[in-house]
Amino acid sequence: MLHTITRKFLLLITIVFLSGQGVFAQEAAAGAGDAAAGETLFKNNCKQCHSPQDKIVVGPGLKGIEERRDFAWIKSWVQNPDKVIKGGDKYAVDLFNKFNKLSMTAFPAYGDKEIHDILAYIKKANEAPVAAAGAAAGGAAAGQDTGGGKFFNIILVSLLAIMVLVLVALLAVIRLLSTLSKTDESLTQELAEPKPSFGENLKTLFSNATVRSAIIWLFIILGTKATLDGLFSIGVHQGYAPAQPINFSHKLHAGDMEIDCGYCHTGVYKGKQAGIPSSSICMNCHNTIKRESPEIQKIYRAIETNTPVQWVRVHNLPDLAYFNHSQHTAVGGLDCENCHGDIKNMEVVQQRHSLTMGWCIDCHRQTDVNSKGNAYYDKLLSAHEQVSSKPMKVEDIGGLECAKCHY
Amino acid sequence: MNNRLAGLLLFTAFAAGLTSCDRTQSTGWEFAPNMYNSVGYEAQTQIDPNAINPHGMNMRLPVEGTVARRNYHTTFKTGDSTEVHDLMMYNLTRNDVEASETLVNPVPLTEQTLAEGEVLYKRNCSHCHGATGGADGKVADIYNGVPSYTSDAVKNLPAGRIFFAITYGKGRMWPHAAQVNPEERWKIVHFVQKLQKGS
Repeated sequence: MLHTITRKFLLLITIVFLSGQGVFAQEAAAGAGDAAAGETLFKNNCKQCHSPQDKIVVGPGLKGIEERRDFAWIKSWVQNPDKVIKGGDKYAVDLFNKFNKLSMTAFPAYGDKEIHDILAYIKKANEAPVAAAGAAAGGAAAGQDTGGGKFFNIILVSLLAIMVLVLVALLAVIRLLSTLSKTDESLTQELAEPKPSFGENLKTLFSNATVRSAIIWLFIILGTKATLDGLFSIGVHQGYAPAQPINFSHKLHAGDMEIDCGYCHTGVYKGKQAGIPSSSICMNCHNTIKRESPEIQKIYRAIETNTPVQWVRVHNLPDLAYFNHSQHTAVGGLDCENCHGDIKNMEVVQQRHSLTMGWCIDCHRQTDVNSKGNAYYDKLLSAHEQVSSKPMKVEDIGGLECAKCHY
Repeated sequence: MNNRLAGLLLFTAFAAGLTSCDRTQSTGWEFAPNMYNSVGYEAQTQIDPNAINPHGMNMRLPVEGTVARRNYHTTFKTGDSTEVHDLMMYNLTRNDVEASETLVNPVPLTEQTLAEGEVLYKRNCSHCHGATGGADGKVADIYNGVPSYTSDAVKNLPAGRIFFAITYGKGRMWPHAAQVNPEERWKIVHFVQKLQKGS
């Protein structure tokens, strides 16, 4: 009985919903503009800055624009907003000032038809709350589905708890049975003998010479290893991940946002140094994004007071070794991750590789020279091919020579 | 016995001392720093504050009014031995939007310059404008206001106007002149013009 009622009710809702859609479609067809054509126009040209509802994206939301402005005004504005502003129209000037003095892109090619289409689409987009509600209901249903996963977890946990209880019960039974099976004699014997205390046990253990010398040798061996490791780590900064003046996350910028390393480290393909970006590069995005964040505010303060941000250098080669970024990135075609590790997943940059000479040499021994399409290597390559059938490694063209890096 | 024990303890302490520094905040011990630290000034290394320069930095800004040579008259040969001399950079000021539209791309359009333009575009533009110019880069979603190259407002922009946009910015986009030099900008223009056609 209940089921039939619900089903009828659902049917009724569906009918109302569908007929409602039909009414909107008819209205749109009867209106001046074609909402479907308007939707395409809007998505290609307007959506980047305007919401068809009342949300502000870059410019104002366009809900109810036809109530606010008449068609002639809208048309002249779309075709040439600068002209309207310069013409001294008060509404236009106020709008211009309100939205950071940034004027809208002009669309001089748009005539009555295009503008009517777009207006029809804006109207339609605001008349579809029923559809939105339907979508929300669908979302709620999906939410319940994910609730099923939670339920499954609860079942698993309770099963586990039951298993543990069964185990405890079994152990108790075994203990009971073994106590019962012991004779009274053995029981009394066990009780009569005094148990040696823990301290006494330790004393007897340490009085044994073999045990004592074994412990001492263990200390000496471990200590020697620690000392040698420590001595070898002198001047090696592997693992260094200093706190920076601004909590900049490479994971967010290079990883999640997929910004190329070279966008900020502008020198990396051109010169010796990859370079630390100036505050103006930060501002290319952060003039808008997350302006209120205390970390971004530090950049604003640095610009306002004209004091450079003092970043802490992480990867640092000693002065006695020469290293050039462009030789490795632009010429060698190596990725940044080769030497800097998995930067795209680092919240705080850490030196992952040792950057010792042995580490450099290892790579120079294993890496083929990126000679494709580089005329510089033509003669070297032909000379190499005369004496060897193996691919030309960095080692073969002097990559292990002392004076290549130490001069 | 006591002496031996003391020696052992001292040895352990020494070994622990060598290993237990906080390696994330400190670079640890250094051997012969006078060979590690440059005597001459290094642009990206600052060991002691510089007494002469502002902010105690080794780096300095270029003298006001100077122009890097490669940003002005650049001579580079193209594949078919044509030589390009003038990149027409400083003929323009921030206010010459209309004038910029008459500029002709001095970098010849070849397969190589287009490929270089694509690489430069991927590095400098694609996080907002998207790999194919559809404004679908990850940053565009939060920056807002990034147009698709095929949208009616920008699909017919001439080469010079695109060069101007990179140099001085356009709408919400900020100038990128500091990051890409004129030659690179013209190469990017080649690739952007390819994307404008929606290919």
